[in-house]
Amino acid sequence: MADVVKGSVMEMERFAIHDGPGIRTTVFIQGCPLRCPWCANPESQQIKPQLMYNVKKCLKCGTCARNCPQHAITIVGDHLEFDRSKCIGCKTCERNCPGKAINFIGDIKTVDEVIDYISRDKDYYDVSGGGITVSGGEPFVQFDFFYNILQRAKELGISTAVETTGDTDWEKMKKAEPLIDKFLFDMKQSTPEKIKEITGGNGWRIQENLRKLAEIAAEKIVIRVPVIPGYNYEEEVLTAIIEMAASLNIPEVNLLPYHNLGENKYEQLGRDYALKGTKMMSKADLKHYEALGDKLGLKVQAGG
Amino acid sequence: MSLATRKLREHTNVEIKSKLACEKSPREQVEIMELYTETHRKFSQSSKSRRELECLKVIYPRLLRTILPDDLLAGRMDFLPIGFGAVTSVGGVGHYCHFANLYKLRDSIEEEDLLKRIDALDEYWTKYDTRTQYSRNYRPEVVYGDNMQTIYNAPITAGPRLSGMMLDYNKLCDLGITGLKNVIKKRLEEEPDNEFLQCSLEAMDLFTVCCDYYIDMIDKDMETADEQRKYELQRIKDSLCTIRTDKPVHFMDALEATWLYALLAGCINYGRLDDVLGDYLVKDFESGYLTKEEAHKIVRSLWVLIENKRTTVNGRLIVGGRGRRNPAAADEFARICLDVCKEMRQVEPQFTLRLYEDTPKDIWDKAMDCLADGATFPTLYNDEVTIPGLAHCMRVPEKEAEQYAMFGCGEMNLQTYTVGTPNAVINLLKLVTIQMNEGVDPIDGRYKAGPVILRKLEDYHTYEEFWEDYCKLSDYYNDMCVKQQVMGYHFMNTQVSFLFVSNLMNDCIARGKPLLDGGVRYLGGCNETYGNINASDSLVAIKKLVFEDKKYTLREINNALLADFVGYEQMQQDLKDAPKYGNDDPYADEIANDVYNLVAKRNYEMGPEMGLHYYGIVIINNQTNTLWGNSTSASPDGRNSRVFMNPSNNPQGGADKSGPTAMLNSLVKFDPHYQVGQVQNIKFQKNFFKDNIEKIGLLFKGYFKKGGCQLMVTVIDHHALEDAMIHPENHQNLIVRVSGFSAVFVNLSKNVQLELLSRTMYDKV
Repeated sequence: MADVVKGSVMEMERFAIHDGPGIRTTVFIQGCPLRCPWCANPESQQIKPQLMYNVKKCLKCGTCARNCPQHAITIVGDHLEFDRSKCIGCKTCERNCPGKAINFIGDIKTVDEVIDYISRDKDYYDVSGGGITVSGGEPFVQFDFFYNILQRAKELGISTAVETTGDTDWEKMKKAEPLIDKFLFDMKQSTPEKIKEITGGNGWRIQENLRKLAEIAAEKIVIRVPVIPGYNYEEEVLTAIIEMAASLNIPEVNLLPYHNLGENKYEQLGRDYALKGTKMMSKADLKHYEALGDKLGLKVQAGG
Repeated sequence: MSLATRKLREHTNVEIKSKLACEKSPREQVEIMELYTETHRKFSQSSKSRRELECLKVIYPRLLRTILPDDLLAGRMDFLPIGFGAVTSVGGVGHYCHFANLYKLRDSIEEEDLLKRIDALDEYWTKYDTRTQYSRNYRPEVVYGDNMQTIYNAPITAGPRLSGMMLDYNKLCDLGITGLKNVIKKRLEEEPDNEFLQCSLEAMDLFTVCCDYYIDMIDKDMETADEQRKYELQRIKDSLCTIRTDKPVHFMDALEATWLYALLAGCINYGRLDDVLGDYLVKDFESGYLTKEEAHKIVRSLWVLIENKRTTVNGRLIVGGRGRRNPAAADEFARICLDVCKEMRQVEPQFTLRLYEDTPKDIWDKAMDCLADGATFPTLYNDEVTIPGLAHCMRVPEKEAEQYAMFGCGEMNLQTYTVGTPNAVINLLKLVTIQMNEGVDPIDGRYKAGPVILRKLEDYHTYEEFWEDYCKLSDYYNDMCVKQQVMGYHFMNTQVSFLFVSNLMNDCIARGKPLLDGGVRYLGGCNETYGNINASDSLVAIKKLVFEDKKYTLREINNALLADFVGYEQMQQDLKDAPKYGNDDPYADEIANDVYNLVAKRNYEMGPEMGLHYYGIVIINNQTNTLWGNSTSASPDGRNSRVFMNPSNNPQGGADKSGPTAMLNSLVKFDPHYQVGQVQNIKFQKNFFKDNIEKIGLLFKGYFKKGGCQLMVTVIDHHALEDAMIHPENHQNLIVRVSGFSAVFVNLSKNVQLELLSRTMYDKV
């Protein structure tokens, strides 16, 4: 069928209990307009399948290099080198790897496949007030796919949440809004300029979308701030974001302490990790902002 | 006696922890056993009831142990190598000789005369021990191996025993001993010559004799006791003075009566004690006769008494659920039990909470709290699924099924209504390995397909053909299990009446018949199935790789299996990568259901056909999955030879990779109407569980709503098990749920430890 809507999915995670209320399944969609240096899912930034290479599992047998139709793989010393510009994502190397050291992220799935998978846990959503969370990447990047998932989920009576950078056309956000019960809206800096500088995203559009969304559905919004030393872990920045939320009548802000669990993914992608050596933070580091929330009349929570 | 014979005789339940040493000297023990034996011989021409009663008079009250200084209840017993019982965990079945313990006693003795006397006992009981007689007369060659080392080479094994009897303690407390006797007397008026009834009547006098024995003992203990202890002893004595003839008035009386009766009846599972004791407890609270602190201490003492019996896989104590006479009062008892469970952290009692629509929130919270603390108790049961399921499988009204009470590792009885002992076990994976070798078991090279004609591997052209032969083999062995079960009852019935048990089971007195002689309302039974999931995962791999993908032939796979995958590593990986049960994957779960339906429905249908009221499978586990796995060759699911098999209903360790909801979804796909007990384990990392206790509670509730019948939860620290294997001294209190029982991890054998380690642990940061 020509009109079957498909999309590229990084992962579908069941029993996700940190991406919104209750028990959820989180669908991670590929593709993101931002390039946050601390990104914990760097393999989700592009829509096309991403080759991940785990050198610890590699047997150095060269099977992948011999089979690669693009001749994009060479053995150099004790590891492999991939010419990622040549890679077309055919996954021949992954299929033939005896050590399972090569793994492509990004599966093309139909909306039906996604819906079939997420509906298996419907009873758990119902009993816990949970549902699905569409995350990314940035879900709005593959809008048709994303929109169809929301539509079908709603038809099945499944509650929906989206985790978004907010960097998308307002028209799309407006169209999807009635199908979304909860917006986990990322705000990574307090001013448009700094957002642009650090993440490469359109800070003006992001903040404008937040304002417009708050006008029609403030109660649905939770602002999420990944707190990253060296980028936004500053009193005035976090205070400004919390104050912005309060001024827009947004009921909740989550401050997410920095973790480095994405670090080894960079290695597997053949990329450098900009935050090498940065210490993990704990919820306790951010606990004192909860009082600011009380003062301003909204819920501020360390962790989310 | 040859070593092999001796080893076979020594085969008995594994003891995780040794029992308290016998209070009697070896000489005294020999004397009692001789007296027992002499009585057994003397009454050999009398009725079985008379002989049983006279034998019981030898051991009661002689074998009652002293009350220990911390005990707040009376009722401890020594079980000698020869005596009367129901199960091997304490003594043996019927008139038994526990040969292993007899030889242990013999090995500890030097006096020549005693050795000779023990040898004489050995000679007598070699002829008359119930299990030995049964084995000699009934068990077919194919069922078991030549000796202890090879017993698990057989695809099934069977034997007689009477496990998990759940007596009518409400009747005991409602009527008291005199009341029970009056019921029997009344019935005797109709049938004055009924010797079973006459002996039942006299057996009740033994209860009184035992009370008096303890009353005398307490009088002596009082002389040296301090004030506090005098108070405690007086309270026990007051209870005994009441219950020796009359019905209980107070909580202590009811508990003492129940405990002592269970002890004399040889019962090591106690059932729904909240239903029995709740009313007394609340009345005592209201009148001020008992404080909550005192009640708490008494329940602690009960916990210790149950633990000290060290039955490992028994000691069930159940609270909650439908069908209780006064739920609010019963819940008061349940609350105390939950508090004690959390404090005591013992491997017994196997404390169980039945959940239903009216379970109070605070009871649920307390239960989650116990689990978060790593108690492994309570195990959780879901009435909504279990009751209709059992009503169907046992062919009884739902009202009676409300009285379900699991025993042992999770097999079901209906309290006061059923005999449902699991006297047969089957290894479903071994059948696959036998089929792959055209009838020969690679583990010992012996032909084990009996009359079943199996095709050559080359002659299977479709998966359906392969499945068809598996069905034939499965039916052949399952039918044999049912038959063995029936013969076991029949044989026990020729030997004994189980007087104490019969007296508190519907409808033995009313019918004037002993338990197994037409007395019990529903004579049923169950078949423990092992390797279920390895078998179905093997069939999945065969279907996918041989008949769909055509990647390998059956012969190629079998060659790899015979080589235990040496030189076939890629194939082993492919077999492991095939769909696996436990991931909510319809492909794998459907075949798991095919195997389940095949076996469950066959047993369900064959029971009545062979003369039982009902028969069903139980998917439970003790450590048999590990022990039997050690005697099962490599299998097409990618499992190596002599490796443990999957525990109960759970996936093979590590095969479930899609999170807890997916694993639980796979579990609920089995139709609960065709089994009489299934258990499932789930393991969480401690901090993860504690941090997310509310959502994990909702996960459990979701699972129960979806049709989950049962759950057993282990919560432990990251790497605790690994570390405990290296530094056992640092982990003396680490309790794990093996499956049908909990254990201190460091007391388990290495193979069992490795199986536990292999299970998926749920955690996330």
